[in-house]
Amino acid sequence: MTDQEIWVYAEKHVGMIQPVTYQLITKAKEIANDKKVVVILFEATDKNLEEKIKEFGPNEIVVVKDDRLKDATDSEIASLMAELADRRKPNSILFGATVVGRSIAPRLQAKLNTGLTSDCLNLAFDDDLLIQTKPSYGDNIMCEIVCPKHRPQMASVRPNTFEAKKDLNQSVIVTKINDLFFKKAERIKIIEETPLLSKSDSIANADRVIALGRGAADEKAVRLAEELARKLGAKIGVTRPLTDHPKFSGDDQIGQSGNTIAPKLLVNLGVHGAVQYTTGIGSAELVVSIDKDPEAPIFNYSNYSYVGDSVSFLESFLKVIQ
Amino acid sequence: MSLKIVVCIKQVPVSNNLKIDPITKNLIRSGESGVMNPYDKNAIEAALRLKDEWGGEVILLSMGPADFEMTLRQGMAMGCDDAILLSSRKFGGADTLATGYVLAQAIKKLGKVDLVLLGRQSVDADTSQVGPIVSEFLGWPQITFVSELTGHAKKGMTATRLLENMQQKIEFQLPAVVTVRSEMNEPRYPTPRNIQQSYKKNIRIWDENSLSVDPNRIGLKGSPTVVRSVWAPIKEAKHTIYLKGTPDEAVRELLIQMRASNLL
Repeated sequence: MTDQEIWVYAEKHVGMIQPVTYQLITKAKEIANDKKVVVILFEATDKNLEEKIKEFGPNEIVVVKDDRLKDATDSEIASLMAELADRRKPNSILFGATVVGRSIAPRLQAKLNTGLTSDCLNLAFDDDLLIQTKPSYGDNIMCEIVCPKHRPQMASVRPNTFEAKKDLNQSVIVTKINDLFFKKAERIKIIEETPLLSKSDSIANADRVIALGRGAADEKAVRLAEELARKLGAKIGVTRPLTDHPKFSGDDQIGQSGNTIAPKLLVNLGVHGAVQYTTGIGSAELVVSIDKDPEAPIFNYSNYSYVGDSVSFLESFLKVIQ
Repeated sequence: MSLKIVVCIKQVPVSNNLKIDPITKNLIRSGESGVMNPYDKNAIEAALRLKDEWGGEVILLSMGPADFEMTLRQGMAMGCDDAILLSSRKFGGADTLATGYVLAQAIKKLGKVDLVLLGRQSVDADTSQVGPIVSEFLGWPQITFVSELTGHAKKGMTATRLLENMQQKIEFQLPAVVTVRSEMNEPRYPTPRNIQQSYKKNIRIWDENSLSVDPNRIGLKGSPTVVRSVWAPIKEAKHTIYLKGTPDEAVRELLIQMRASNLL
């Protein structure tokens, strides 16, 4: 069938489409075969976020414009999506596995009485069947999950798993829909949405990250690392023990219970490399690690390794790039 | 006013370091039975604090085999009043949809529930789906990944919800479903008195005959998703190059590589 659609839910916050949406569009196009990639966008009437989405080249953007969508709750979005899905019967619907994606998707799943796989790390099609690969047991086990008898097939995908690529050659149809029934959610209202200052430049989206572990936790190491971060335009991330340091918090943590990062450059200082940490750095491109322990597992995840003291390495680095 | 609070909890394996049998490809489960999902303790703590403030009762609800009783007792030892185990062979093989459906039917049977609390997700399957599914089947507001819960149980409550780089403040009225992050509180330890009490309390077992359920929506039959295969990911070691010499020499060698990769 050629008229089957893969939907991507466009997640936005304070007027910005989230990077995971673009990552999903690119991945969906890669696996689509002859299916159409359709982005579903809900926005207030004074916004034109479809223009940004166009750059990533989906086949179609379905836009619902309504001022009530400025602060719509997850259940309201789920209701609108269910209505749209009833009309157009998509083959599958993809969400980012963000807090909001992981809230809207299962509510929609229950409305549509279908299957949903959370936090996928890979997607592929076998004919019309969406093959969903998902980690379990803290990323120690991978499962291949399918939803053979129900449609649409639904999945949420972990941010930064796929790369977003612009595609300006695709002609994009924009379809405006204004006849959906807006079912107002009762007894709930979002009264405020504010960027978290410490996370507004989140390490999850940083191109360069300097990570500090227990072996680089003293004041001098932190100060030098901050200086190097300024010079390289990098963000500082930490392992779990350093989240107790007054300068850092859980927001800065890399790894299983923190952020999954995908920088072009990652410099690990005094990071030993526990599994809980290394699961969060699998997509980093160039990884450089400095640790005193020649047996530190972090070296198995690094392109370049240096066995030695982090402070001396930082001092040399700052001196040499002067 | 007094609150009727239900906390949905799950028993999970003691350790996440599972192995796969290389021949049968099945998970090798250790002989030990499980522990309470850590986030569920935060949900119980949140429930007990609301009970302390407004009065009422906290009822634990779980779906699983008979040995989940241990986890329910542990919850009662923290101070919960009552526990119900949804247990039947017919419930077996349930995915999140079938699980959420049965939990919602049990909550409807309990009646007059003001608040349903769950942990943000389980640490074994890691789906975070059950809370929103239960909310939909109850037709209630859902507030997920909540880090702070304040306000007046009758007039209206305020939740702080942490997103990746945003924070939301949400006002809502009960009844509602809230899923709880570990940032919300520090779960209490069971007191010796509560531990003793917990063994005097009766755990009610409900099966498909105790509830009004559609047989096609429970267990394996009611589960749209199928696990086709399970494997242990191969963590490929990167081929690492050791930088040698003094820190200065090491840094110089690294900078050459960084320039080659257009990073400088």
